[in-house]
Amino acid sequence: MSTVEARAGAEIVTGGPGGPAGPGAARAAVPRDAGRRVRGNTWRLLGSEVGLTFRRPRNLVMLAVLALVPAVIGVVLRTVSAGGAEGDAGAIIGAVAGNGMLLAFVSLFVLVPLLLPVAVAVVAGDAIAGEASLGTLRYLLAAPAGRTRLLAVKYVNAVVFGLAATAVVAASALVTGFALFPIGPVTLLSGSTIPVAEGMLRVLIAVAYVGAGMAALSALALAVSTLTEAPIGAIAGTVVFVILTQVLSTIPQLAVIEPYLLTSYLPRFDGALRDPVATEEMTRGLLAFAAHIAVCGSFAWARFHSRDVTS
Amino acid sequence: MPTYTRRGRIVRWGVPIAAVAVVAGAVTAGPVIAAVQGDPVLPERSAGQLLAEAVRAGQSGDVPPMSGTVVETASLGIPGLPEVTGDTGSPAALLAGSHEARVWYGDAGRVRVALPGRMSETNLIVNGDQAWLWESAGNRATRIKLPEGHAGARPTPLPSVVTPQEAATRMLAGAEEHSAVSVTNTERVANRPSYQLVLTPKDDRSLVSEIKLALDGETFVPLRFQVYAKGSLEPAFEVGYTSVTFSPPAPENFTFTPPAGAKVEEQTLGADAKRVPGGLTEEGRGEVRTVGSGWTTVVVLPAPDADTLRRQASQAQAPSSAPSSDPSPGQGEAGQAGQGEAGAGQLVAAVLDSAERVQGEWGSGRLLRTKLVTALLTDDGRLLAGAVRPEVLYEAAGRK
Repeated sequence: MSTVEARAGAEIVTGGPGGPAGPGAARAAVPRDAGRRVRGNTWRLLGSEVGLTFRRPRNLVMLAVLALVPAVIGVVLRTVSAGGAEGDAGAIIGAVAGNGMLLAFVSLFVLVPLLLPVAVAVVAGDAIAGEASLGTLRYLLAAPAGRTRLLAVKYVNAVVFGLAATAVVAASALVTGFALFPIGPVTLLSGSTIPVAEGMLRVLIAVAYVGAGMAALSALALAVSTLTEAPIGAIAGTVVFVILTQVLSTIPQLAVIEPYLLTSYLPRFDGALRDPVATEEMTRGLLAFAAHIAVCGSFAWARFHSRDVTS
Repeated sequence: MPTYTRRGRIVRWGVPIAAVAVVAGAVTAGPVIAAVQGDPVLPERSAGQLLAEAVRAGQSGDVPPMSGTVVETASLGIPGLPEVTGDTGSPAALLAGSHEARVWYGDAGRVRVALPGRMSETNLIVNGDQAWLWESAGNRATRIKLPEGHAGARPTPLPSVVTPQEAATRMLAGAEEHSAVSVTNTERVANRPSYQLVLTPKDDRSLVSEIKLALDGETFVPLRFQVYAKGSLEPAFEVGYTSVTFSPPAPENFTFTPPAGAKVEEQTLGADAKRVPGGLTEEGRGEVRTVGSGWTTVVVLPAPDADTLRRQASQAQAPSSAPSSDPSPGQGEAGQAGQGEAGAGQLVAAVLDSAERVQGEWGSGRLLRTKLVTALLTDDGRLLAGAVRPEVLYEAAGRK
């Protein structure tokens, strides 16, 4: 594990593996500019984490699959003439044939319920449990104030990946849409039409919103990840949660719990396709995401700090 | 490895617990803040004064420009009603569950109502003598022609959307004669201090226990309308603003041009009624009569018997099937009405299946009981309905 060694090396620069226990003792021992060095090292650690994440073949394959789906949808819509599309979203899928930019929204609509969450869960669920299962967690923790910083770095890394995955979907959809379909003023769900530039802005809004939702999901996966040493358990647990909550929200008798489920806010990115933009609903969704991040994040922090790292 | 004391662990676990508490606090912040602020106190007004203010505000048409979110919740307890979720467009869906609409109100001639769905939206846009119904799910724009002489009147082609204004106007019509009316001035609706009118039926044969209407304390615009059935604490039907702003909405809200590629249709107002399965409204329009008065009013209208209804309902579900030779009224309409009606057809069939067979001196028929409305379909071809106990219907059925 050469990469792990590289990271452990970065740790050693700051505090040394045999550093005294407890943040207070560390503060007394290290020189005054240690704060800046720790900060600099945090960025370096984050950089190396992000680099690792985006070099890992497994993650690259997931990004490739995510990029492939919009292309496949685009090709199918191009070759099979629209029509016979049913349901609420049927019309918008058909409308892609008239305007390629809508493919970005359709792709998000298709991927947000399962595939995007799975990709995020793989990265965020692996964060702590993966290191624990490889036995590399203790090297990463061999630094003063290590646990909080490590957790934060792992979380930011997962958030970056979630945002990147969402952006990859949108980018692939836009490229496919531009290549296969005419591009012009965009017809919104409300029936009004906006120019192309504003349409791009709406795509960005939707990507940012879904990215925020994935950040909330990352916090959840991270919390699960601190509970186990088996990364597959953390990943599966998160995915099961995503599926289960969506199943529950289809049961009419359980409509009361819907406002408390993370997944019921994820498809609200369609607010970006309304006129005016449904800021009220989307703000509500963002607040729900923030609440999930606060609760799951602090749970992960408390759990990670009180657990004995033996591997 | 840092060593952690037991105390340290307890302190650490305090953080997520605090986070949960903060989130729970934020979720319930509305009620908490309201409780801290205390009940809003508006100048006292009698029921009469308040009704007059409300009617004046409603009739003179100087309802201030506003926009907001309206939520409709119905739990009518209709037996056999298939629970439909997500299908916000169908009127049948509005009989159960909760639905949200955005409302923009410029003046009496400029209104926009939007029903958001998942990746879809239904819009009603009224601007002067122009009205458009836009359904993104069907990529269809319908230009609604208002009948001659009705220009400026509020059309209601969407039976599903009842704004608080309309609900209130209907209620105010015969209020004080049959009801005990009281007023509270400490209500808060959509975060605005409001008056609340409470009407309690004097006749205890009514299924309605009370009706509450909340009026904005400043503008007297109705903000919430609730109907409580006897024996339940939650309203059986509720429509009200969850957020409201009294400022002129952007003018773009009231302009609509059908987007390129959309199907554009024309429809004259009133043509909708023909689409009711079984042709109830169509046939019965001339012969609808009412028995009784006030809260125990029973509506009597001629109707085909249950078997015919059922047959029509199943036919509506399969519009492509060959038209039967049965000459009963409304058949043709039911056959061609198509997809939109399939939901209503299913509904009729399901509801009929759950109806209870009853008989008495007045004859025999099927009785359908819900929390709020009782309906009796007699075998001699009449439909009686009212927000009353079954006895009142039997009595009305006896009076031929």
